Amino acid sequence: MIIAADHLSKWYGQVIGLNDVTLAVPPGITGLLGPNGAGKSTLMKLITGQLRPSQGSITVFGEPIWRNPASYARIGFCPEQDAFYERMTGVEWVAALVGLNGVDEEAARAMAMRALDLVDLAGEARKKIGAYSKGMRQRVKLAQALAHDPELLILDEPLAGMDPVARRRTIRLIREWGRAGRTVLVSSHILHEIESMTSNVLLIHQGRILAEGNVHQIRDLIDEHPHTVYIRADETRALARAFLAEDGVLSLKFEDQALVVQTARPDAFYTRLTAMAASGELGTIHEVTSPDDNLQAVFQYLVK
Amino acid sequence: MASVTRRPTLLPSALRVFDLSLGQMLWSRRSLFLALLLGGPLLLAALVRFAAVADPAALPRINGQRIGGLTLFGMMMWLLYIRFIVPVLGVFYGTALIADEVDDRTITYLFARPIPRAAVLLGKYFAYLACTSLLVLPSLVLLYFLVAPIGERGIGAGVPALMADLATLVVGLAAYGALFAWVGARVKRPVVVGLVFAFGWEPGVLLFPGYLKQLTVAYYLQALVPHSMPSVSPVGSIMQMLQPAPPSVAASLAALGAITVLTLWLAARAVESREYVLEP
Amino acid sequence: MSPIHDQGYRRYPGERSPHGRAWAVIAAAGLRGFFRRREFLGLLLVSLFPFFVRVVQIYAAANLPQAAFLRPSPEMFRDFLRQQDIFVFFIAVYVGSGLIANDRRANALQLYLSKPLTRAEYVFGKLAILLAFLLLVTWVPATVLLLVQIVFAGNFTFVADHLYLLPAITLSSLVQALTVSVSMLALSSLSNSSRYVGILFAGLVFFSQALYGVLYAVTRDTSWSWMSFSANVSQIMALIFRMPSPYATPWPVSLGVMVGVIAAAVLVLERRVRGVEVVA
Repeated sequence: MIIAADHLSKWYGQVIGLNDVTLAVPPGITGLLGPNGAGKSTLMKLITGQLRPSQGSITVFGEPIWRNPASYARIGFCPEQDAFYERMTGVEWVAALVGLNGVDEEAARAMAMRALDLVDLAGEARKKIGAYSKGMRQRVKLAQALAHDPELLILDEPLAGMDPVARRRTIRLIREWGRAGRTVLVSSHILHEIESMTSNVLLIHQGRILAEGNVHQIRDLIDEHPHTVYIRADETRALARAFLAEDGVLSLKFEDQALVVQTARPDAFYTRLTAMAASGELGTIHEVTSPDDNLQAVFQYLVK
Repeated sequence: MASVTRRPTLLPSALRVFDLSLGQMLWSRRSLFLALLLGGPLLLAALVRFAAVADPAALPRINGQRIGGLTLFGMMMWLLYIRFIVPVLGVFYGTALIADEVDDRTITYLFARPIPRAAVLLGKYFAYLACTSLLVLPSLVLLYFLVAPIGERGIGAGVPALMADLATLVVGLAAYGALFAWVGARVKRPVVVGLVFAFGWEPGVLLFPGYLKQLTVAYYLQALVPHSMPSVSPVGSIMQMLQPAPPSVAASLAALGAITVLTLWLAARAVESREYVLEP
Repeated sequence: MSPIHDQGYRRYPGERSPHGRAWAVIAAAGLRGFFRRREFLGLLLVSLFPFFVRVVQIYAAANLPQAAFLRPSPEMFRDFLRQQDIFVFFIAVYVGSGLIANDRRANALQLYLSKPLTRAEYVFGKLAILLAFLLLVTWVPATVLLLVQIVFAGNFTFVADHLYLLPAITLSSLVQALTVSVSMLALSSLSNSSRYVGILFAGLVFFSQALYGVLYAVTRDTSWSWMSFSANVSQIMALIFRMPSPYATPWPVSLGVMVGVIAAAVLVLERRVRGVEVVA
């Protein structure tokens, strides 16, 4: 595992930031999801060695990270705060930070330009950061995180302030980095953005990890919450009569040209539904979706 | 993209931070304050020079004796630079070395790099020393050329003392800067503590005989100044007469060097182990 | 009436304070905030140390014939207020440097001024915080010393012989506290770094003193004292206490300088305390 936390806790005076967290982040892209104040930034700061654990341990690439600056060469951190050396140009700033990795001036500048090009800022590289728009500031922050070619990218709310086009491009970049073998831990409280990047998530709430792993697997494991299935069909009443006889069906609701079923046994239900659709015995079934087989539903179920 | 193969150590990393910070310091609002601070003595010197040129008979006198430009220069060196400008710059810049980056929330970028945190402090300290020296030393030289010629036949005689003054200023800036860098790294309200030390503790203990004055920077720094200390009040004159002989130049330099190295080391330790929780 | 109660938003049904009282809310919140800080309470305690020394002096003078030479005089009260100068400075830096600067840093000015609160109320509320603490270390202990004198002497003779003393203490304290408060508040509005503001204030006080020191050392003439922030305050205090002036500067000049400083500070506050900054 790239990142491993063992009974990790962090408190600020009387306030608990992280509460007895044990987790492992595998290679690839992992989404860190939680509402504001959940502990996402605290966890990221612990991973990048900005904060010291109050209790427990955290290792990155198998080594403790606090006061271990040698490990930072393999990490690229894009923090949440909108803070820069405003008087420097984009390329000057990124090159100066890359230079702190031990790279000589010329190489640092070349690496900075490449990173800025990746985030579509090559044209504005020589402008002062103070003149950048919010989206450009976010992109230059990303550039400084990846300019030195790190193996692990920690991105704290990287899409904040970006316009839709930039968001799409950044999401695509993140996916590319994952495919290229980098490990990326990206946090957000915007669920569909995380979903579009990865299905591997860490759900955090009030300093505790609620769940980790594949979002669909997590959903399946939430036994006490029934699945909701939306069926648009011609013969909704006939379908309803057939489903009433099924074990596991907990409720039926009629909507416009559709039937919403809640079932505690989704596998069996889908098997039966597939058979009905194939036989056509109860009319044509036009559409079958599961409104709660997504991150939002998973999160809401876990938080309640 | 090529991977980084070299991992910088303390001094090379500090020099890179120095590069990054020097530009920031020189072109900041602080430098405007510094320029105003250094402009005051120069303006005063220009006025005195103008007055002396306009009416040589009005040249300053003490106890009926006319005082020359070199003595005048010595007084200004004492009263403005040694007793005020150097300690204030030490407090102003020294306490802010890391604190400014924390307040601006840019410290994350520096601490997320593969360099020791102490290198960040050291690099910024060197930048402070370079920035203040670059501004203070020329101002003193300018002051010399404005004031020294008043009532004197030549200014060459004062040049060795001027060189000593310049070296004293650099040593003073180094010592105060290191001391207040440590204060800034350890304490929540470093400016208040710094001002209490520089304008409360030091002037207080220096007035009275005893060993407490050895717990100041000013005691050793003042021993390096080649000019006699002026007094600005009758009480001050009396207290000066009661003081024992100041330490030797060698002892003072050694003490100031020890203060600089020790407090820088303590500051570096504090920065290495401290957590910086940024405001959202 | 419906048995199901409305759970929606309800308007505040109570009485509202009339307009113009919002400054008291700002002041009260500020005072409470500072009283909660232990290091500040420590600073206040240290500031009252000279008060306790004077209490012992008054007690000794009243009860020990050998200590009759220590008996209180109007000069003692004036000297006490002058001794509190250094604590006035430190408290002004501790309390005052962040009063507006911290609000600027947090972009809170817009929030404040979007409420039914005028800029004058905002400024006055902030001013009241600093004034209160400065009077706490000047007017309050000086007045208590007067009461202590009455209690230890067992009669009103001293007060009766010096009826002007209480008004003099009050006016002097107000002059001292108001000049410092308004200046500090104006400096605080110039920056969003309380550290920078603290140093600016130190510059104003000590640099002006140092410049005067140079001119005095050169000319041996105290009429240059108008240049010094603290010397002007001392000059006016001497006038209020009907004491000989410590400096040769005519008191209208000192008063004029202080009024000028306050006027400049008010102008700065008027320009800087705004909900929005017009860039172009």
